[in-house]
Amino acid sequence: MLSYIIRRFFHLIPTFLGATLLAFVISQLVPGDFFTQKLLEPGVRPETVARLRAMYGLDQHWTVQYFRWMANILQGDLGLSFSGNQPVNRVIGEPIMNSMVLVVFSIILLWLISIPLGVYSAVRQYSLGDQLVSAFAYFGLAIPNFFFAQVIVLLVFVLRSWTREAFGFNEVILPVAGMTSSDHSSMNWWEQRWDIFRHMIIPGFVVATASIAGYTRVLRGQMLEYLSSDFIRTARAKGLSERKVTYKHALRPALIPFIAGIGGILPTLIGGAGLVEVVMSWPGITPTFLNALNRQDIYVVLGLLVVSSILLMIGNLISDLLLAAVDPRIRYD
Amino acid sequence: MSDQTRFPQNIDARDAGPIAAAQSKSQAQVVWEQFRKHKAALIGGVILLVMYLLTIFAGFIAPYGINEYRTFPVTAFMPPTKIHWVDPDTGNLTRPFVYAMDSERDPVTRQRVYVEDTSEKYPIKFFVRRPQATYKILGIFESDLHLFGVDDPARIFLWGTNNLGKDVFSRVLYGGQISLTVGLLAVWVSLLLGLLLGGLAGFYGGWVDNFVMRLVEVFAAIPELFLLVVLASLLRDPRNPLAQAFGLEMSSGQTYLMIVLVLGFVGWGGLARVIRGLVLSVREMDYASAAKALGASETRILWRHLLPATASYVIVQLTLSIPGFILGETGLSFLGLGPSETDTSSWGLMLRDATARGISIQFVPWLLIPGIPIFLAVLSWNLVGDGLRDAFDPKKRR
Repeated sequence: MLSYIIRRFFHLIPTFLGATLLAFVISQLVPGDFFTQKLLEPGVRPETVARLRAMYGLDQHWTVQYFRWMANILQGDLGLSFSGNQPVNRVIGEPIMNSMVLVVFSIILLWLISIPLGVYSAVRQYSLGDQLVSAFAYFGLAIPNFFFAQVIVLLVFVLRSWTREAFGFNEVILPVAGMTSSDHSSMNWWEQRWDIFRHMIIPGFVVATASIAGYTRVLRGQMLEYLSSDFIRTARAKGLSERKVTYKHALRPALIPFIAGIGGILPTLIGGAGLVEVVMSWPGITPTFLNALNRQDIYVVLGLLVVSSILLMIGNLISDLLLAAVDPRIRYD
Repeated sequence: MSDQTRFPQNIDARDAGPIAAAQSKSQAQVVWEQFRKHKAALIGGVILLVMYLLTIFAGFIAPYGINEYRTFPVTAFMPPTKIHWVDPDTGNLTRPFVYAMDSERDPVTRQRVYVEDTSEKYPIKFFVRRPQATYKILGIFESDLHLFGVDDPARIFLWGTNNLGKDVFSRVLYGGQISLTVGLLAVWVSLLLGLLLGGLAGFYGGWVDNFVMRLVEVFAAIPELFLLVVLASLLRDPRNPLAQAFGLEMSSGQTYLMIVLVLGFVGWGGLARVIRGLVLSVREMDYASAAKALGASETRILWRHLLPATASYVIVQLTLSIPGFILGETGLSFLGLGPSETDTSSWGLMLRDATARGISIQFVPWLLIPGIPIFLAVLSWNLVGDGLRDAFDPKKRR
């Protein structure tokens, strides 16, 4: 097992180098740079811009820039952000944390919701509940998450104005914009955590919807397959309770794709959280990325690409390892 | 369930007797028969058919042009026009009519509100000619005939208007021309790349396989949304040599082509992986070895044996990947990296209006309508894809 882990890990290195090279080449294809716009400003002398370019190493050939950048990355330094002259690490650290909080919460929601739903609809196949779950699954897979987010925002607004008119308050309904309340800084530590938690319930749910739908369908299919197999008949014939048959014998093997999927969830959610973050103004990776791209703040863009692709590869690695650990049929030599 | 579905062919053959058994069916016939039994897939197919027909005849059905708006009297953010069926004078049912709208300021909130000017009725007319809104069907037949309309100065906005006062209903119809077709074309770009690279990898193996699969992994290591956004914004940049080759400002056709290429370029990895796996498994099949033993050339094996064997699976995969491309296009347009507002329309771009700065969605909920066709299109393509998958699968014959 250990040698498998090490081998898988070394396998990632060429992929990582390739991905960074690809990202860097694409970024170099963009004509001009952060300082091109500066040249158009009346008060800025061309020499100043040339000096700034030299300071950031932008006057070098792109291969030199790449190797410098790569050498810095290996030391954990993602370079300097042009706007504000801050280290990229500091600029992107907080958005990445914010996105991770949202994504981890979505994964928890995904497990909490899709496992019971999947088991239920398999055990009660063709019942009304099963059909409702199937309808929900198709709905969740088909609705674009940014549109879903917009609809939820609309519903919350409508509900709020309705409760205000009917009962004179609108505080019960969860927030749908941003990550913190306006009086966040005056709260104590626990209140701040609670505040963030309240803000992430709705976006977290929206982000998770498509995955919940997909995994519910997968689990239902798996459960049905195992429930009709021979070892389940044996278990029933032995006189085991239906509870035990369902949860101990059928659910366990049926969960294998779930475990394999953990790593896959991470990247999908990072991608999927993107547009929801934009709609619900969650200060995460995607809004930061779009802003940096707009300003041609290349090293922030590259830094986010690097970190998100590292997350993605780690996710895939984890899922492969878990799969190898859980599924005895997989040989890892 | 399993007992009934496991051996239906045998039962059929026994019941029908030797004469019927002699009439063999082509694969296409079998698949179509199976597909027809799949209720949900049929519904999806019908929805898609209707949507694509509406898109083709968008110009005829839409009462207004794609870019048509009026600055005076103002029509911005006008709610859906109310259609009246009852004559207020007599109280009887009458031919449907609308009123012209006056804009006023709410005395408290200073917001613009529209009130009906009930002095004159404007009946809804069918097959009206409006020379200010000409259109072409399939790029060939030019006309200014519209399915319905009302006389000036009244306007009929079935689904309200956007910030510039453009008709949402008309723009949704026109938007399909981009949002519904981009996926269809991008899937071919992806298929071409996927077939070429995946097929090569699976067929030749060795270092070719290694190289292609590493390439797929490299592409998969960058989050798709970010890759899409970077490529799209790169190609849109007017200073880019590629964009300069097209001319400084990209025309709507060029933007369209750009989106198709970007989506297809980002999406080929999964297909290549699938095709490689298929080719690998089929290559080991006995019939492939037999052909080789009989002295068939590699090209013959590739074209006569490997590609047909993968065809059904590829068709299903293609159908199931179209929704992803549709979502990709709407997402890009939603971020403003797709077609531009002025001479084109796209559902994602229209949803962007709803999150523009300074807009409170509860006052203009009709701006969310363009999300519904996206939902329907993605849902229907998923249903059709599922139906095709089951229809091609001999284990699921009914």
